[in-house]
Amino acid sequence: MTLMPEHFESNASIRLISASQFTVDELTAIYNQTRVDYMIPMPMNAARLAEYIEMYDVDLDRSLVAVEGETMRGVAMLGVRADRTWITRLGVIPSTRRSGVGEALMRGLLEQSAQLGIEFNMLEVIKNNTPAHQLFLKLGFYEVGELLIMRRPPTMQTYEPVIADARRLERYEALDLVGYDRGTQPWTNQSESLGHGADIFGLYLTLPDGSRGWIAYQREKFTLTHFIYKTEEGDPAEMAYAFLSHLHHQYPRLDTHIENIQVNDPHLPAFYKMGYIESFRRVEMWRGTPPASLVSK
Amino acid sequence: MTKILIVEDVFDNFELAHRILSSHGYDVIHAETAESGFQLAFQHRPDLILLDLGLPDHDGLTLASWLRADPSFRTLPIVAFTAWPPETAKQMAESYGCNGFVTKPIVKVKEFLAQMDSFLGK
Repeated sequence: MTLMPEHFESNASIRLISASQFTVDELTAIYNQTRVDYMIPMPMNAARLAEYIEMYDVDLDRSLVAVEGETMRGVAMLGVRADRTWITRLGVIPSTRRSGVGEALMRGLLEQSAQLGIEFNMLEVIKNNTPAHQLFLKLGFYEVGELLIMRRPPTMQTYEPVIADARRLERYEALDLVGYDRGTQPWTNQSESLGHGADIFGLYLTLPDGSRGWIAYQREKFTLTHFIYKTEEGDPAEMAYAFLSHLHHQYPRLDTHIENIQVNDPHLPAFYKMGYIESFRRVEMWRGTPPASLVSK
Repeated sequence: MTKILIVEDVFDNFELAHRILSSHGYDVIHAETAESGFQLAFQHRPDLILLDLGLPDHDGLTLASWLRADPSFRTLPIVAFTAWPPETAKQMAESYGCNGFVTKPIVKVKEFLAQMDSFLGK
C-alpha cells in the first residue's frame, strides 16, 4: 500500500508506504539508520522495537516508511488510543534530510489521524533539536511543557527506607490506582502504557504523620522503569523520597530509567536527593485541543 | 599486546577507532551489543573497554554497571565513547563507574591516542 499525502510534492521519487508492509527487523534497521548521527541515538534491536510497538499502541498500518526505489529513507510511527494519536520514532537518514521527507512523513501521519476522526495529536521532541521543533511548529503543534529523562545507577549507596506503613501492591492493585484518566499525560506515562507492560508492581505508603501515597512501576530484569506516582496527602517531595527509599532498598542492583517527568513536578527534589541524574530533556507538544473525553474524567 | 574491546553498534564509529588503534599497535576486539560486549569482556579480558553509551539491547552505562559488579573488572579502565555534551557525559560516565569519556566522532587522532594511553596508565 502506498500512501501519498496531498502536500507531498517536493520529492516525487519518494513513496510513503505503510509500515505494516515491513518486518520489525526492517523497521528496526531504518529507525537505527535515522538516528546514527544523533547526539543521543537511542538505538533499538528488533525485540525492543516490538515491545515498544506493543506497549505504546503503535499502529503499523497507519505508520509510514519513506522509500526511494528499493531504499528506505525515513520512518514515522503513529500511536493510536481513544481520542488521541501520538507521533513517534520519526527520523530521516542523514543523506536524505532537508528534502521534505520528514515533513511528508509528518503530514502523512496527520492525515492518518484525521481519517480516524482524531484531531488531537501529541509528540515529544528532544530539546534543542531545532529542525524538528520548527517543523512541528509549522504543522500546528504548540509547546505544552518540558520533560526530564533521568536515571540512577545501581552502584550508588543504598538508603535506609523511610519509616512507614508499606504495602506492596500487585499488578491489578497498582493499575487500579493508576486509573484510566491519564490521557493528557505524556504518552509513555499514560494508563495504557503501564497496562501493556509486564512485571508491574506498586507500593502504598503511609507515613507516621499521616502522609500517604503510592507508586506504580515496572520491574524489568535489569531495570526499574515506568514510574507513576501520586501523593494523596502530605508533601510530594517527602512522599517521593519515601517511595524511592523503599524501592531502591528493595532493588539495590537494578539500574533505573525514568522518562518524561514534568520539570515542574513537585516530587522532583526527592529524585535528585536520591542520586538521579538528568540525561536530557524533551519538549512536549500538542496539536489541537484535548477533547473533553480526556480532560473531564 | 595491549587489548582493547570496543563496544559500538555503529560500524563507521567502530571502524575509525579500530583503524587508529590497530595502526598504533593495539589489539582490537569488537562487540556490537551490550550482551556480546559482556561476554567478550569475560572471554578476552581486555586491558581497556571503549564503550558506546547508546547500544541496541541495553545501553552502555548499564553494561558498565554489570562489569563493575564483578570483582575482576573493578579496576579495568572503562571509557565511555559518546557524543553527549561533555558535562553530561562526565557525570553519567563517573556515576556508572567509568574512568572517563572520550568524545566522538574522533577528530584529533593524537589527542584520542593520548587519552587511551592515559587511561591505560602509559
